[in-house]
Amino acid sequence: MLQDVIHWLVSTPVNTLVMDYRWTWPTAESLHFCALALMVGTVGTFDLRLLGLGKGISPAALHYSIRFGLAGFVVSIVTGMLFIFGQPDQYFYNNAFKVKVVCLLLLGLNVCAFYALEARQVLALGPGDDAPARAKVFAAISLALLVAIMCAGRMLTFYRP
Amino acid sequence: MVKLLTYLEENALSVFIREFPSVFGFPTILFLHTLGLAMVAGVSIAIDFWILRGRAATAPLQLLGLTRTMWLGFGVNLVSGVALLLAYPAKALTNWVFYLKMALVLVAVYIATRINRELAASGGLVTPAAAFDARRWAIASLLTWAGAIVTGRLLAYTYDVLFAYELT
Repeated sequence: MLQDVIHWLVSTPVNTLVMDYRWTWPTAESLHFCALALMVGTVGTFDLRLLGLGKGISPAALHYSIRFGLAGFVVSIVTGMLFIFGQPDQYFYNNAFKVKVVCLLLLGLNVCAFYALEARQVLALGPGDDAPARAKVFAAISLALLVAIMCAGRMLTFYRP
Repeated sequence: MVKLLTYLEENALSVFIREFPSVFGFPTILFLHTLGLAMVAGVSIAIDFWILRGRAATAPLQLLGLTRTMWLGFGVNLVSGVALLLAYPAKALTNWVFYLKMALVLVAVYIATRINRELAASGGLVTPAAAFDARRWAIASLLTWAGAIVTGRLLAYTYDVLFAYELT
């Protein structure tokens, strides 16, 4: 089943685009890293604010830039998909990749839970206000998962099948 | 030049970083370099967006926690960057992209310092003129960080030699 998926991926024109053009992979990697900085920067800074750093800024003011982090996330996913189309077997059989995907899913769940349960109270806070304890837990989980995603991403090369 | 590069890559620390047979060696240093990048460029980018939205009217002291995180990230990047350079000195020092990256990092760090200083000088209240200036600095900051990240990634694809002996 997985082999069928890999065969299909390598037979697509996207695989040709990624593997046959010298600058596709480096360009996608550069964009992937810029997007990472954008995502970790905006989401991570918002998390740090909830944990008590930069308390002079209201969470709502920092939350504005989360939309750029979301754009970064989309770019990360698109460029990440290019890598998978390029060398699917290097990812599907790679334990670091599996950890990365699990962490991404957990991050998504954490974001959903935060917006469902805590966002309204947090965004009503003013400069200098302390975030509720539950919001701090969401922020700590988010930061830990962002670091784990970066770590797993970096380890992909060293856990090649 | 070749002598210096050979000396650097044959020194015990360089060999240790390059050949330590564990994921806690070179791979971990690479991860720390990425983490440092996310901290220094990430927080700087977040502050840039915040300034661009015209929300720079705050006392710099209130930003302190975030700027500390930024400088901590810079420290992590500096140490891990030196370690990576020591591991493969010829690879980096014979590649003009490396010097471009260093120049962009220096400019980006200068701009981050300048933004912090501008905010401090404003005493927390940014006038329309100062706000315009801060916006210009914020845009310059975003562009230089993007340039530093791109050139950093391209190092892996633009080098001509890996070890000094290839130069002889």
